Amino acid sequence: MIERLLPAASTSATEIDFLFSLIFWLVGFWFVLSEAIFFGLILRFRKREGRKAQYVTGELQSEKRWITVPHLLVLVCDVFIVFFAVRAWHQVKQDLPTAPTQQVVRVEGAQWAWIFTHPGPDGKLDSADDIRKVNELHVEVDRLYHFQLTSRDVLHSFSVPVFRLKQDAIPGRVITGWFQPTKTGEHDVQCAEICGIGHGLMPARIHIETSEQHAAWIAANSTVSVAAVAGR
Amino acid sequence: MGATFSRTLGAALALAALAAAPVQAEGPDGAELFQLCAQCHGADAGGRELFLAPNLTGLPEWYLLGQLRNFHAGLRGMHPDDTPGLRMFAMARSFAGALADAEMQAVVAYIAKLPVAVPEPTFTDGDPAKGAAFYQVCTACHGADGKGNQALNAPPLTAESDWYLLSSLERYKSGVRSSDPRNANAQLMRGMAATLPDEQAMKDVIAYIRSLGAAQASAQPAP
Ligand SMILES: [Cu+2]
Repeated sequence: MIERLLPAASTSATEIDFLFSLIFWLVGFWFVLSEAIFFGLILRFRKREGRKAQYVTGELQSEKRWITVPHLLVLVCDVFIVFFAVRAWHQVKQDLPTAPTQQVVRVEGAQWAWIFTHPGPDGKLDSADDIRKVNELHVEVDRLYHFQLTSRDVLHSFSVPVFRLKQDAIPGRVITGWFQPTKTGEHDVQCAEICGIGHGLMPARIHIETSEQHAAWIAANSTVSVAAVAGR
Repeated sequence: MGATFSRTLGAALALAALAAAPVQAEGPDGAELFQLCAQCHGADAGGRELFLAPNLTGLPEWYLLGQLRNFHAGLRGMHPDDTPGLRMFAMARSFAGALADAEMQAVVAYIAKLPVAVPEPTFTDGDPAKGAAFYQVCTACHGADGKGNQALNAPPLTAESDWYLLSSLERYKSGVRSSDPRNANAQLMRGMAATLPDEQAMKDVIAYIRSLGAAQASAQPAP
């Protein structure tokens, strides 16, 4: 449903979208049903000649059932929502999957830009061949990424809508998270926490590339050549 | 009744025509646009160190416009370590669309007419006598009086805040403010800043520039 409006480009996006849809349909069902009953009753008991209005206290068992039965059914729906919400939270925020090919990128929020540090040809962060970019994040499709999120100054929030990912960046803390892109393309990275007057002026882009494209990008942008790293 | 109705209708049509008439074509309002700049640079454009925003007064229109266009085009402020530059790079994005350049010209024209604000010194450990020797290399472009030279794209230096001159020299030298090879003037300044061996030398030369400004201020009668 949401995918029609915004592509889902990460492994956890489907989980978040499922949760969205679940809540939408459950809440939507109860909303339509209760409005239908509400307007049905208004129509049925509207003013009519020769019929006197009646004051209903709601104390009879038969009347109370109108509240208690839907109440219990809504609670059953809540159990479903909570179950899937906890599952999604665990998957996206608490679990930190690892893979032999995983890479680490550093994401730094600043007033008012995103600074991304990519590992260079050696695949490791904090070495001479790192590629630092302003407002430009390059990743490879299907590869597992861990991100280390920091802030240079104030609160920011790293938001990648196509990943359905959002995480606050807090100065003085390094927050680790993960994502795994599933589709190539170029998409928005936003700041989702008011961070000063330039907050709306710090849009960045994420480039999800095939492994060939990504390797070419690394070769073109690293100050240390691929051959030099291989020969080390 | 009919006459009243047609009169009312006529008046309504006249009003509608008036509302739809194009407003007298006016350029962008520099004073209004400056309100955004004032958030960091201050209402007097005198700069605020807390926001890493330099003094904009005392700078000529051509220099302000050139730098603003550099930020807007991404020729300045795009280095990951250029913390003040990244802020201004983002803010320059507020000039967008077909009117962007006209708006930049308007706001710069407004700033260039503001009275010169004289910033308070933030450090006193620079030695102007030692700085005079370092300044010799600067005279080629910025002039012996520090008043700058438009033909060489060299801005006047004497009204600028000392902390900002220091920050700029450091960022020029480290390549943070001169990272884009397309920005020729910044590349030039990188080489010049490299002639200053350390922070103390930078403070000395800034102290000398400050003494030039003070000499000019005392030489002129108070306005
Ligand atoms: Cu923000």
